Amino acid sequence: MRYLARRLLHAIFLLLGASLLTFFFTALAPGSYVDEMRMNPQISADSIAALKAQYNLDKPVPIRYAMWLRSVANGNMGFSFAYDVPVGPLLLMRARNTLVLTITATLLAWIIALPLGIWSAERSGHWPDRTITWITGTLLVIPDIALALGFLELAVRSGWFPTGGMVSIGFDSMTLAEKLKDLGAHMVPPVSVLVLAAQPLLIRHVRAAMREEFGKGYVRAAEAHGISKKRILWRYALPGAANPLISLFGFSLGALLSGSLLVEIVTSWPGLGPLLLEAILARDLYVVTGGILISTVCLVGGNFIADVMLYWADPRIRKKETAE
Amino acid sequence: MGSRRDRNLYRELRCAGLLLCSGLFAFPIQAQTPHNEELMKFTGQPGRRGGRLVLALRSEPKTLNPIVAMDEPSREVIGVMQADLVHINRASQLTEPALAKSWKISADGLRYTLRLRSGLRFSDGQPMDADDVVFTFRVYLDESIHAPQRDLLIVGGKPIEVRKVNASTVEFLLAKPYGAGERLFDGIAILPRHLLEKPYLEGKLAQYWPLSTPAIQLAGLGPFRLKEYVPGERLVLERNPYYWKVDEKGTRLPYLDEVDFLFVPSADAQVLRFQSGETDIITQLGAENFSVLSRQERGFTMTDAGPGLEFNFLFFNLNGLPSGASAETARKRAWFNSVKFRQAVSAAVDREAIVRLVYQGHGTAIWGPVTPGDHRWIEAGIKHPPRAIERSLELLREAGFSIGNRSKGDRTLVDHEGVPVKFTIVTSASNADRLKMATLIQDDLKQIGMQVQVVPLEFRSLLDRVMQSKDYDACVLGLASYDTDPNSDINIWLSSGGTHLWNPSQTHPATAWEAEIDRLMEQQLTALKFAKRKKIYDHVQELLAQNQPMIFLASPDVLVGAKNKIGNFHPAVIEPYALWNIEELYHRNDGASTK
Amino acid sequence: MTIRRTLAAWLLFTGSLHLIVICAGFLAPYDPAEQDREHPYSPPMVIHFVDAVGHFHLRPFTYLLKPSANAFDSFEANTTQPVPIHFLVAGARYKLLGILPLRRHLFGGGRGRIYLFGTDGYGRDILSRILYGGQISLFAGLLATALALFFGTSIGCCAGYFGGWTDDILMRGAELCLALPWLYLLLGLRAFLPLSVSPIGAFFLIVAVVGTLGWARPARMIRGVVLSAKERDFVRAARGFGASPVYLLWRHVLPETWSVILTQAAVLAPLYVLAEVTLSFLGLGVPEPTPSWGNLLSSLQHYSVLVSYWWMYFPAVAMVPFFIGYLGLASSLQEWADPAKIEA
Repeated sequence: MRYLARRLLHAIFLLLGASLLTFFFTALAPGSYVDEMRMNPQISADSIAALKAQYNLDKPVPIRYAMWLRSVANGNMGFSFAYDVPVGPLLLMRARNTLVLTITATLLAWIIALPLGIWSAERSGHWPDRTITWITGTLLVIPDIALALGFLELAVRSGWFPTGGMVSIGFDSMTLAEKLKDLGAHMVPPVSVLVLAAQPLLIRHVRAAMREEFGKGYVRAAEAHGISKKRILWRYALPGAANPLISLFGFSLGALLSGSLLVEIVTSWPGLGPLLLEAILARDLYVVTGGILISTVCLVGGNFIADVMLYWADPRIRKKETAE
Repeated sequence: MGSRRDRNLYRELRCAGLLLCSGLFAFPIQAQTPHNEELMKFTGQPGRRGGRLVLALRSEPKTLNPIVAMDEPSREVIGVMQADLVHINRASQLTEPALAKSWKISADGLRYTLRLRSGLRFSDGQPMDADDVVFTFRVYLDESIHAPQRDLLIVGGKPIEVRKVNASTVEFLLAKPYGAGERLFDGIAILPRHLLEKPYLEGKLAQYWPLSTPAIQLAGLGPFRLKEYVPGERLVLERNPYYWKVDEKGTRLPYLDEVDFLFVPSADAQVLRFQSGETDIITQLGAENFSVLSRQERGFTMTDAGPGLEFNFLFFNLNGLPSGASAETARKRAWFNSVKFRQAVSAAVDREAIVRLVYQGHGTAIWGPVTPGDHRWIEAGIKHPPRAIERSLELLREAGFSIGNRSKGDRTLVDHEGVPVKFTIVTSASNADRLKMATLIQDDLKQIGMQVQVVPLEFRSLLDRVMQSKDYDACVLGLASYDTDPNSDINIWLSSGGTHLWNPSQTHPATAWEAEIDRLMEQQLTALKFAKRKKIYDHVQELLAQNQPMIFLASPDVLVGAKNKIGNFHPAVIEPYALWNIEELYHRNDGASTK
Repeated sequence: MTIRRTLAAWLLFTGSLHLIVICAGFLAPYDPAEQDREHPYSPPMVIHFVDAVGHFHLRPFTYLLKPSANAFDSFEANTTQPVPIHFLVAGARYKLLGILPLRRHLFGGGRGRIYLFGTDGYGRDILSRILYGGQISLFAGLLATALALFFGTSIGCCAGYFGGWTDDILMRGAELCLALPWLYLLLGLRAFLPLSVSPIGAFFLIVAVVGTLGWARPARMIRGVVLSAKERDFVRAARGFGASPVYLLWRHVLPETWSVILTQAAVLAPLYVLAEVTLSFLGLGVPEPTPSWGNLLSSLQHYSVLVSYWWMYFPAVAMVPFFIGYLGLASSLQEWADPAKIEA
């Protein structure tokens, strides 16, 4: 229990530090949203000054940070200048879109990588292993950006998938089946890119972890006892390899919100990534801090969940704690 | 309107109905004009009723309240739902009667008497009269509301006064005569007093009429009224049954049943939607997307409506030096302040290449702020010198610069102290066209030995630099006049103006020619006859051409596209390009191409 | 093949790729900023040996492209005007390795223009821009790697060697750095810093930003190595003899970390090259007209370009061999450094 409490405290410390850093970075940047209004000769300087005061842009930075921190504690993450809506709901909606994408991609990636990695580890040195290693090697050298743009080109040339966006017009009036089909079609390019990009890392780690387990004494002993390969895999090797695999899974969880930034921008998926880029360029202070905060929460949270799962799954950690 | 038999039947039914209901209803049931409406006759091609128009908006509108709306999508939607007293016809670029059927201007130009059409009703059926007009202007002119329209209604330093003469006549009093007086009224939406007076008196008017307002609480005099709003998806408008225009056949406009505004965030996404047939009209196209769409015209036609009112230019920092400025800044400022330097830069710029490479031929090279799209005000006498490197070098030599050859074979321009000429051009990172222009200019200026860096800045940082900190060398920007009349841009040309970009908000004019321009602009402001104003403004254009505070580059054409089945589609070069005559648009039933 | 041989092979491969990029001046037919305003977006020219009539020529040639009648962006081959490819021609001036001024290029079209990979929106040759762009992107990535490793090693050594409070604080800092979504922070930091006047300034800014953000992971690994090295007998012995911490770190501990540093270098380099490419792609990196692989690809974000000009995709393909080289180098380095722990 102490272990978990320590990890939780650790997580909170990280979050505070992250929020501080990002808030100060964005606050020190020049230019603000109201400057664009100035270019419009129809709007007077008074109106602009009124807007500036309304958004609290004329107070010094530490005070703004304190005010923001207090309102976040109340659940209110500030106001977006560009969209003229509270930041919280805006971020949540975009985060939901991102999660639709990344949860699907992560699940698919793991469903594909786990068996392939295990198979590769079992048949180490033979042709399945070699082919898989070769494929992951190829995928590893193709940068994300090339993959994403490549899929986009494919979509444009072949017309098989929509070339961007999340849903078609008239989504609301579709039947449930049509909606799923439409959403699915739009998801194919970005999800494919994310899954393919994640494969090399996942497969290699799974393979390495499994190989290490297969090499251990107790597995050999189990083999010698004539226990079936399947049983060894499920009852002995996999639980043994749980430690690194769970950490890896925690990392995958953590990257749910932040890992798809480039893919979302390239395929115009209305997720957190494009919103953040836009907000950074528009100096929309509260959106930027809010966005970085929730993706940090996700990252830290993912690792924390991994810690919890490890605690539950790996008796060695529990033992270590009681021994301390 | 149906066969003779139908009409007879209808008449019989009507009489029967009258007899039945005469005792029960306070007003007759007749569908003809019971209130003796004075409707405006539309003299163009008559169309047929029915159909839906689907359009795309770049982002969701922020409000439906004309008093607060500052962003473009809000203004576009509000423009379709509201109407003004005197309207500028986008095709002819002249004023025409709208809600006011006629007006008289007093001899001294200070009093405008407008006669309203009587019997008109708002989209919720409530009658409209002079009280609504007076209320409207009271709201716009109220200082505590901070309406963006207020600045437009200040003439000669004082807000205009509005007085009701009788139920259908309103008087406007100006402090000084104003040459473009009639154009003041365009875009000033007349608000419904019966809905908005109460919140105004309670001080809550600015928060009224957000997008989520239920349709029955909204009212306007425009061709359409709100039907439904789906957040994040679309805004649907339906026909206003009380709209005050009819066509020659007596059919009440608008022809369309419904207008759908879809929220499509990026230009590329809009192109995709239009191409797939999901939207009916597309506007604000860039040249490259226009080419892509023109290549496969399936059921739609792409139109180049001709030069618009947008003008792009390069300008130098001509502000006074701040105290403690470095020697380098002082030197650069001295270069920029030399007229011949600026004229040399202008002679070296390849405007034709800009039109060809940035606008793919759908544009015009310009040498002044008035583009060919503004056919009334353009000054034909301004010289249009083609690109001439030799002339440019000659001007530089006269200005004291000299050109040498570096080891790499590139020319280097040096000033009279031998310092090589180097400066930066800032431009907006998000505007690909202007970025391209800046890069082309950079290459052009390399030919006369200047070393130029192009620095794309985020737009708000750019504005901060140009208007606030004045920390830049040169800048490529563009402005789009919202009206052809020069008064719409007056803050650019007046030396005290906030958008007098090269040296904004001066207390005294910094140079003799700026002082002269100030004087001329004030003169044309109060001159009442168009011929006189044009002569004065021509003189202003000539001064600008001589002194080149802005080196004008090119103006893009207005590129639009519409499905072939849309009738009466006449894109204009002033905003709103395709929707200015939305009440006249209709669905053809032949559906064939109009080529 | 032995591990040594594999390593040598990968080094040779990666090295020659980098050599190609270093000699960009010689190999590229044109200056990367040279605009050909008559031929924007012209498609790649095909090399022929047999002409339209059917004659065979020893010297390869291509056809001049002439603009199609109606649009500004379509061309057709002008078979009446073949452009023979000359080798070792005199062309635009450049400086080999930044010092040697030369004029000879490997090949060129003489008076005609040769665009083997087509041109971009300003009529600039894409092949030349890819080669020169590689210089920027690769150099930025490698320099950032060096910076990150420098910081990472120093901090890792301090943390591992001194332990206690120093270790705690430094490692907490590392965790904080790692906890932030890297790309987001990169964007934020980059956008917040002022855009420098010259491309050189922007270049070093990117290197600094990427390098300073990247110290955390190598620091942790180095710290691990230092922790274990600290307890080694020879180090303890040296300490017993009164050696100062600096001497110990420099003479005894650091050599232990070499293998980790080298492996990390091969792993991080592609990551940081990609970081530069991403920044430039999003418009926050190297400005025009300086080419970088990132800003060569950024025009593909426009639908019209994606649909019409497929040759703008070449820079993405050009990156792949380099990444293959880095990956191969990384895996063979890992094998060579730690044969017992064969990773993949």
